[in-house]
Amino acid sequence: MSSKATIYSFLILGLAVTALLIVAPVVYAVSLSFYQMDSFVGAPKWAGLDNYTRMLSQWVFWRALINGFIYSFGTIIFQVVLGIGFALVLNQVFPGRNIVRGLSILPYLLPTVVVVLTFKWMVDGSIGVLTTMMSAVGLPQVQWFESPGAAMASVILVSVWMWTPFVTTTFLAALQTVPSSLYEAAKVDGTNAVQRFFHITLPMLKPILTVIVLLRAVWMFNKFDVIWLLTQGGPVGATEHLAILSYRQAFGQFDIGGGAAVATISFAILSLVVFIYFRLFPLDTE
Amino acid sequence: MAEVRLNTVRKAYGGQVAVHGVDLHIRDGEFVVFLGPSGCGKSTTLRMIAGLEEITTGTIEIGGRDVTRLEPKDRNIAMVFQNYALYPHKTIYENLAFGLRMRKMDKAEIDRRVKSASAMLGLDPYLERKPKQLSGGQMQRVALGRALVRDPDVFLLDEPLSNLDAKLRVRMREEIARLHQEVGTSMVYVTHDQVEAMTLANRILIMRDGHVQQVGAPLEVYDRPANLFVAGFIGSPEMNLIEGHLERGALKAGGLSIELPPGIAVAEGTPLVLGVRPEHIGVGEAPGAHTFHVAVIEQLGAQTLCIGEVAGVRLRVLMDRTDAVRNGTTLPIQFRPGRLHVFSKETGARINRADADVGRRPAA
Ligand SMILES: Nc1ncnc2c1ncn2[C@@H]1O[C@H](COP(=O)(O)OP(=O)(O)OP(=O)(O)O)[C@@H](O)[C@H]1O
Ligand SMILES: [Mg+2]
Repeated sequence: MSSKATIYSFLILGLAVTALLIVAPVVYAVSLSFYQMDSFVGAPKWAGLDNYTRMLSQWVFWRALINGFIYSFGTIIFQVVLGIGFALVLNQVFPGRNIVRGLSILPYLLPTVVVVLTFKWMVDGSIGVLTTMMSAVGLPQVQWFESPGAAMASVILVSVWMWTPFVTTTFLAALQTVPSSLYEAAKVDGTNAVQRFFHITLPMLKPILTVIVLLRAVWMFNKFDVIWLLTQGGPVGATEHLAILSYRQAFGQFDIGGGAAVATISFAILSLVVFIYFRLFPLDTE
Repeated sequence: MAEVRLNTVRKAYGGQVAVHGVDLHIRDGEFVVFLGPSGCGKSTTLRMIAGLEEITTGTIEIGGRDVTRLEPKDRNIAMVFQNYALYPHKTIYENLAFGLRMRKMDKAEIDRRVKSASAMLGLDPYLERKPKQLSGGQMQRVALGRALVRDPDVFLLDEPLSNLDAKLRVRMREEIARLHQEVGTSMVYVTHDQVEAMTLANRILIMRDGHVQQVGAPLEVYDRPANLFVAGFIGSPEMNLIEGHLERGALKAGGLSIELPPGIAVAEGTPLVLGVRPEHIGVGEAPGAHTFHVAVIEQLGAQTLCIGEVAGVRLRVLMDRTDAVRNGTTLPIQFRPGRLHVFSKETGARINRADADVGRRPAA
């Protein structure tokens, strides 16, 4: 067999596996959105664009879309800003630095269920640590999961707590790649620490930051487990975003076609956002 | 423009001492080169002047001002780094202007200075480019330009040419010399290349293991090395170092007896090292000539280097270009007392009388 044939046979094999594992489920999910179906066993009925028009005409869909944007923007901004802040601190020389660096990744390693249960426990109305501490300093009691604003705040808080370490670790690693002579040249040129951050650190790490923000955005937009475990999208849909809506539509309302339509729209929106994002922040900046 | 004073400047990293106390007075407009092998503490000393490295003990003054505890930006110095350290995401123009912008200088004045530096260094065609679109030599010129626009009290350069190829190095060396003549600002220049040191410096400071070995003008260091280390380090091809002992005013080494210059005030039998540069060995018949057996010949172009032995002592002899010597040729050679350097074997220190100014003597 010639080497070309070898390459092609591997290529075809790889494409086949990809098709089977990625393309097929996507095609299947998308195709579901064109049928009317109330269970996975019943025979699907062709519905054309009915599922789409039905979902798009519902107020819950637009609410979920807006919630999704609030949740992902909120979590990304805090994760990135805090993550960079911690990375800059951990990049300083101080005693016990390596231990602190090691500990800082811990939240990322914990299973979501554990984190969520711990948080619920901390804000428990009668025995929660946070509740007792807040009442000790005279703050009013917060109904974390009853008021819409507080519920959104708590899902964002828990998400930020869990995934900030990812940003910190990635950014910290990237910081090591900036040559120290650049900082020294800037010191001689008369900059202070803040100016060095904006004139050297940030531009030098812009490519990596672009990727971090994108990855976090995609993950947060589709994030399901934290919200589901904390609020299940409640109270009254205040934390329901597209992924939760899609799930509830398909498995709560037994409207599989509608759920699939929501998932397809979500997928399309995310693709569009990613596309625009790369137009705005090209990786090969010159 | 200003003078720089280092008063017993010392640097320790924890318990390990990198620089053992440098005393130096750099005169206004002087070009001083720190020379020494890798790890001897040249960069550390330069970086202490820049304020990039904390000073363990001692003080530094620039222009009569104690800057020991000042930040780099408050010392009015400019620095050129070995890897250029240009800001990769800024244009060449912005690279040159950055230090001035940070000092809130008037826009028109910034532009005037950038334009004048870029004209001086031939950078005009590149001002809108980014550093990675330049060649090594061009980047080096930008790095020089960035220092130049600042019009500092003193320029600090840490091996600025070591990333360039040999030809470009020579060209940039000339350019730096011209620049120094034009601006007249004091410069401190770190290198491990003795040719750079000899050609650029008003004075050379030679270091080894964090200790200053000698400070002097290039020819002074060449003519009168203060110790064995300097003797071996300065000069190419390397100085011949012959071990022996003192016997009736001569050095005895194996079967060889070499008459020493007067004024060697040590006891009979003291172990000595005799230094003689390959270019200072006379070739030709004369009374008291020694027989040199040539083993290896290196043609250098204008000169011929012969490596061989005389009475069992290994020796390098440099002479005007000749095609007449071969492996196995014997040559009559003489050592002229006025061209000899005598060192204590024990301490390595020079023990010729201080006024034995060998280099400037008319040839015997
Ligand atoms: N941050 C540091 N911590 C500990 N030791 C250091 C540090 N920086 C430098 N040294 C030590 O100080 C000594 C002098 O270093 P320096 O960089 O001044 O050498 P150099 O003469 O510039 O050598 P080179 O020609 O290789 O650049 C070396 O032995 C080095 O190992
Ligand atoms: Mg160095």
